[in-house]
Amino acid sequence: MIEASGLTKRYGHNLAVDGLSFQVRPGRVTGFLGPNGAGKSTTMRLILGLDAPTGGGVTVNGRSYRELPAPLWEVGALLDARAVHGGRTAHDHLLWLARSNRIPHRRVGEVLELVGLAQAAARRIRGFSLGMAQRLGIAAALLGDPGVLIFDEPVNGLDTEGIRWIRELMRRLAAEGRTVLVSSHLMSEMELTADQLLVIGQGRLLADTAMQDLIERNSQAATLVRSPQGERLRELLEGQGARLQPDRQGRWRVLGPDAAAIGELAAEHGIALAELTPRRSSLEEVYVQMTDTRVEYRAQRPTPDRPLATTSKLGG
Amino acid sequence: MPGTIEQGRAGFAEALAAEWTKLRTVRSAVWTLAAIAAFVVGTAVFVGATRSLQPDDTILGGSLTGASVGLLVGASFGVLVISRDYAAGTIGATLMACPRRGVVLAAKATVTAAVMFAVALAACFLAYRVGTVMLPDDYAQGTPMPALLGVAACFSVTGVLGLAAGTVLRHPAGAITTMVAVLLLPSLIGPLLGGWERWVAGASPVAALQKLAQSSDAAPDTVGSLGAWPSLWLVCGYALAALAGAGLLFGRRDA
Repeated sequence: MIEASGLTKRYGHNLAVDGLSFQVRPGRVTGFLGPNGAGKSTTMRLILGLDAPTGGGVTVNGRSYRELPAPLWEVGALLDARAVHGGRTAHDHLLWLARSNRIPHRRVGEVLELVGLAQAAARRIRGFSLGMAQRLGIAAALLGDPGVLIFDEPVNGLDTEGIRWIRELMRRLAAEGRTVLVSSHLMSEMELTADQLLVIGQGRLLADTAMQDLIERNSQAATLVRSPQGERLRELLEGQGARLQPDRQGRWRVLGPDAAAIGELAAEHGIALAELTPRRSSLEEVYVQMTDTRVEYRAQRPTPDRPLATTSKLGG
Repeated sequence: MPGTIEQGRAGFAEALAAEWTKLRTVRSAVWTLAAIAAFVVGTAVFVGATRSLQPDDTILGGSLTGASVGLLVGASFGVLVISRDYAAGTIGATLMACPRRGVVLAAKATVTAAVMFAVALAACFLAYRVGTVMLPDDYAQGTPMPALLGVAACFSVTGVLGLAAGTVLRHPAGAITTMVAVLLLPSLIGPLLGGWERWVAGASPVAALQKLAQSSDAAPDTVGSLGAWPSLWLVCGYALAALAGAGLLFGRRDA
């Protein structure tokens, strides 16, 4: 359990975290979302006692991090997979961490096995790919078998198989009753992994809600329709006040009447339908809507003449 | 399953074990220590072979000619004990493992001082043996004990000063430059300071080392008129004060 109340961090004139209050509960994966510079990493550093808050506070298992008697037994964190000394072997990196909290030596081998790095144990970290470094970082987080896990952008630099592995690991850790807080800029990833969402923008909390609620409450229902008599259908639907937009596959995206109403209308007028698909906004669309007014770096927003190359990467 | 925290501890003993493990698993640290030993002993061989020492020098002082330069490497060693963490980013992991920063710094200081002492004592003793064998008897022998212990302690003190500088400045280059200045400047500006000379020139671990080594370099006009052991206690005091100041900063600053 992680609890923040009025958590505030100011760096000079920049208010990085502004009065955040939230709870991260055990037994589920809590996703931490926000545009670039929203304060996600700062919040994590405050939770872990690396930076001191300017105001408010945050506790882990009821205590501030700096008061935990053996922190690695309670909290495991991966902030930056590259924050390791390249000259050490994977085994030695985990060994000094184990020593620091009186964690049995055998755990080193166990977590290396768990993340699939057993073969690379004696290799220097310098030669690791980013994916291997991420796995090592996760091994370090799991070393003390902690009940609280914090991951900052854990799927960064991983291939598809690695991403699936992390996703399953997160879900398994949460299912074991642990508290899992994970930030990611990959919306689609959050949608698949997280049960609960914390959305922040410019250091403020925008939403603290169950994933499904968030999408349902914020999404615009639309229906994708394809018909050999598309133009006729469009006239009829527009006659009933629906709004239609063509999509690239030659379908209409219909806003207003739901799928049942469209189907009835088509049947009434003897129009054949080739496709009728109810569609909810993805988390990505909801998120863009929500943070639209909060995005600090407006230059990153897509414009008609300069579309954003990959709209799923809004930065972290 | 979430772990049982009763078994774990993250106190001074654990921090000490972690810092020791960190040190012995990085090649640059091991090489730095080897370099100190090789330089100190190598210089003794050179002095012995060329007899390049002053007529009024002692065999002990002549054998330890390389120790003053060894101190500079020792200072870098101390700097790197912490700036290696800043450079690699492991300072975060270090403080997540042990969030009590005073404990972390105390562990680093202890490891630094102990390692410096052991390596310097072994190297200086060997250098003295080399000098005794190679140099002719017409030089005064000098009194090796307890002077060698004091010389080794100078390395510990220098390492701790380096640690303090590395803690404050974080970046290795700046901290090492600062340490070179700290080691060399006092004996250069000391003579300009009149009555303060003994406190300034004597404040350098190099001065304390030269006095302890009974070297002909340890003339009062360059290294201050304070005695050998009082000089050592003085630099110990300065080093502890520097460490305490660095600790205050370390405790309050964001990692």
